[in-house]
Amino acid sequence: MPLDFSRSAPLTFGVELELMVLNTHDYNLVRGAPDLLRRLEKVKLPGGEVKPEITESMIEVNSSVHSRHEALLAELAGIRDAIVACADKLNFAVAGGGTHPFHLWKERRIYPTERFQRVSELYGYLAKQFTVFGQHIHIGVENGDDAVYLTHQLAPYIPHFIALSASSPFSQGEDTSFETSRLHAVSSFPLAGQLPPVSTWAEFNAYFDAMKGYGIVASMKDFYWDIRPKPEYGTVEIRICDTPLTVETAALLAAYAQTLSAELLRNRRSMPVEPLYRVYGYNRFQACRFGFEGELVSPFREGRVRVADDIVETLKRLEPVAPALGTQGALPALARRVTFASNDSLWLRDRYRETKSLPDVVRLQAQRWRNDPPPQ
Amino acid sequence: MNNNFLPALPFELSYPLLFGVLLVAGMLGGEMARKAHAPRILGYVAVGFAAAPLAQWMNLGPLLDAGRIFVDLALGLVLFDLGRRMDVQWMRRDWTLAAAGLAESVLTFAAVFACLIAFDYTAVVAAITASIAMATSPAVVLLIVQDTKAEGQVTERALNLVALNSLLASILTTILLTTAHLETKAEVESAILHPAYLFLGSVFLGWILASVARGIARAVEKTAELHFTLIAGLVTGAVGLAVLLKLSVILALLAFGLFTRNDARNFDLLNVSLAPASRPLYIVLFVITGASLPPEALVTGAVVGAALAGARLAGKFTGVLVFSAFGGLKLRQSVGLACSLMPMSTLALMLHHQVARQYPAFGAEVGAAFLAMLIVMEVMGPLAVQWGLGLAGETPREA
Repeated sequence: MPLDFSRSAPLTFGVELELMVLNTHDYNLVRGAPDLLRRLEKVKLPGGEVKPEITESMIEVNSSVHSRHEALLAELAGIRDAIVACADKLNFAVAGGGTHPFHLWKERRIYPTERFQRVSELYGYLAKQFTVFGQHIHIGVENGDDAVYLTHQLAPYIPHFIALSASSPFSQGEDTSFETSRLHAVSSFPLAGQLPPVSTWAEFNAYFDAMKGYGIVASMKDFYWDIRPKPEYGTVEIRICDTPLTVETAALLAAYAQTLSAELLRNRRSMPVEPLYRVYGYNRFQACRFGFEGELVSPFREGRVRVADDIVETLKRLEPVAPALGTQGALPALARRVTFASNDSLWLRDRYRETKSLPDVVRLQAQRWRNDPPPQ
Repeated sequence: MNNNFLPALPFELSYPLLFGVLLVAGMLGGEMARKAHAPRILGYVAVGFAAAPLAQWMNLGPLLDAGRIFVDLALGLVLFDLGRRMDVQWMRRDWTLAAAGLAESVLTFAAVFACLIAFDYTAVVAAITASIAMATSPAVVLLIVQDTKAEGQVTERALNLVALNSLLASILTTILLTTAHLETKAEVESAILHPAYLFLGSVFLGWILASVARGIARAVEKTAELHFTLIAGLVTGAVGLAVLLKLSVILALLAFGLFTRNDARNFDLLNVSLAPASRPLYIVLFVITGASLPPEALVTGAVVGAALAGARLAGKFTGVLVFSAFGGLKLRQSVGLACSLMPMSTLALMLHHQVARQYPAFGAEVGAAFLAMLIVMEVMGPLAVQWGLGLAGETPREA
């Protein structure tokens, strides 16, 4: 049976944010999600929902569908306030960030749902190592063909999202020297990677049927791709970002994805997609390792370009598209960050330099999540 | 030929040798208990039960006195660790936690007091016994939490309630002891001054030590090894200082832990884990406690002891169940929490000894019944905590 692609209003958007649940005495991850979620059930959220994730120290925030960046930010801040209020009662702290700096994966516990237990049985230690925290951005598209087109065309911009969202320099108690170490946990899965070079939804369906026929996948959920079509929602889902340290950054990243998608859908590219993936892995590594200072190669032009310069150039190109979407304020805010080479990984490393203690870094990280922007 | 270099016969047994043996035997006992899916503590205590007649036969003095330094150090570490886990801010944010703590302490006191009055004990003796019965053994709860890797709301709440009831019990016992002084015609000044000195002095000592700890922590590199050494040294020193100044070791160490708890203003001291290094001390603590409990009390104090244990259980369960429901805990979580407050062990034994020393009539009157309850809870307590944390879903399923 072919996968049906639900139609959604083009360029509407929404985000998922995976968050860490922490104890307040040494700021390690804590088995807190079940109690926190139970308490949140009794609270009215401004929209969206909060759900369990693979281990009991994680929760996932889902926003509702938006068309304006400010509305998304207001909703995320409201959900954040509700979570913080419930966590206070239970003596937990909650924080953003792509990895917990010093937790040990073997201490994690799989959330007791049938799907998570199955994932854990199949993937062994990879499942517990998957206690990493990402932001997913959904962009609404009209049909499956557009989804396939947009998925391919967003691929060259993946390094931008990595550098802008990077917030996982520490892992298992060590500075990894990477701007984001979270993506290594994702890459280990056998179905990680990217969409094959299909060009229509019908072609994708044939690919999916074949994979299903081999018994490799059961649903779209089994593909752990960086960008993937999400037929149930009628969206393209960008899954590459670390969860930022603030809801503000999360909303900015979503605004960037929305504006970029608008431009890519308006000015359709006609170059072949296959060459894009020849350089994909290299560029992705450059951004993970060096962030804004990474050097990108393009199959369509000579020489290399710094990630920072590529972002600034892209933001400039998006200026004419922004006003219609209401993102004309968001894009310069991102440009400023690029200019000052400031991202969350830099902030975390600075805090470590000051405090010389990773528990302290996590404490400050939780404080920042709570207070920036201030509670409503 | 001069044989001076050879040991003289008969051999004289020394305490270091004895403690070495007890430690290894305790460890082995613990592992046997674990194989039977019982808490390790039961194994340690069982080795203690077995060692008591042996020590007597070898003409050694009471182990509790000889091993006092080990017991004090182990208890010092336990109380410091517990103080660190206590969170006054949390109690302010969630009133049901503080309310549950007060309620279970007050109700336990009332139930045990009423029970003893019904058995025709005097009010002073009943009150002192009731105040000791309020305390949950911090060492048992902490050790089982470590061993089972329990984590979550019930575990955190249990540790906070244990800290609270240990604190209340030691304050109240101290104050009541003075009332006992009054009855035995001591001067009024000492009746007021003594508890005031004990309480304020101990808290002040805790505060001073916490400040010193932070000061030194700032001066050295921020590594877990250095901070561990610092804390171990200061905890040991604190025990010595509290004894020297005739302050309450229990209160001073709890206060020390509480004041080193990191809050938003002050994060100089790393929250290092004391667990692996303090295990040998804990093992000796439980072996000695086991060896210090007279099994004959089970016979002489059986009836009253059973009634006391029942009254204590009723008080703790009622207090916890009522207020935890307000706090949004599920029933199985509340029951698990109440179970975690059952253990009685060294802390109660030490308080009992303190009372018996200062007020000998107490030991003679209620001793057997109290010790019978203590022996029962020494065995049932660890089982209750392990079962309760499992019921609440806080121990890992795969473990």
